[in-house]
Amino acid sequence: MTSNTRSIDEHVGEMLSGYIDGELTQQQRQHVEVHCGACAACKKELDELIDLRTDVGRAQLSEFGEDIWREKMNDSTVQASRGIGWLLVIGGVLIAAGIGIYEFVIDSSIGLTAKLIAGAIYGGIAVLFFSVLRQRLIERKTDKYKDVEI
Amino acid sequence: METQDMQRELAQLGGGAHALAIQIMGNAEDAADAVHDAFEVVLTEPDRFDSEKGPLKPWFLRVVRNRCIDMLRRRRRSEVPVEELRDPALTPEESLHADQRTQAVRRALAALTSDKREIIVLRDYLDLSYAEIAKVLDIAPGTVMSRLHRSRLALKEALENHDK
Repeated sequence: MTSNTRSIDEHVGEMLSGYIDGELTQQQRQHVEVHCGACAACKKELDELIDLRTDVGRAQLSEFGEDIWREKMNDSTVQASRGIGWLLVIGGVLIAAGIGIYEFVIDSSIGLTAKLIAGAIYGGIAVLFFSVLRQRLIERKTDKYKDVEI
Repeated sequence: METQDMQRELAQLGGGAHALAIQIMGNAEDAADAVHDAFEVVLTEPDRFDSEKGPLKPWFLRVVRNRCIDMLRRRRRSEVPVEELRDPALTPEESLHADQRTQAVRRALAALTSDKREIIVLRDYLDLSYAEIAKVLDIAPGTVMSRLHRSRLALKEALENHDK
């Protein structure tokens, strides 16, 4: 923070910005006012900074109005709820699969050979499924033509 | 805060957040994507916002800024040519709609570095206090005034050069 004890003859510099933004203490404000009353250069800079701030404040820096953002927000809400939906489905499937596997393993009415054969078949299907899924996800992420409409 | 109230407030903040994102990303399309992503992040986990720690505006602007920085990092990693990072000056279509002073301000902003553009937009366009600016930019509150003043002087010079 700028010192309060600088001489009144010293240019106020960055305190001009603090002054127009209302971020100075009462003592600092008085210092700036007294200095600008005596220093034409600082008074000119103060007026120019006020004009500059007004120009930036009035400029239209984004072309999109509130309606467009509301629309985008609805898209985001849909996507967010879709994400939660997928999370619930995947979670449910994993829990069901876990219970199924546990029941199958502890079921004493099925022989060990049958369990191993069934385990190999279902395990193989699961490995194939996840390897294809992984490949597809990698392709989807790295395919630079995915957004090209044909 | 109720989700509907948050959505209403976020829609109002969209334009300002987009203006900030343009200063960081360098173009309006990527900036809109960043704001859209930020909406998604916030609406997926609205509880991350704690109204007791401060208002929504600076918090959301910080989310948008972080999103922009993430996108730029990823873009650099995927080695997109630097010339694709355009400055945020007006496209020919935008020039038709914007008034002369807006055009001059946008061109002058485009001549500055992104950290200077950001702080000016946060203060003069989005009307954030110095304490809020420090939070959004993750800098010491005591450095805001000097950084903002240097940035304003640079913008003033850029505008004067443009007016000549």
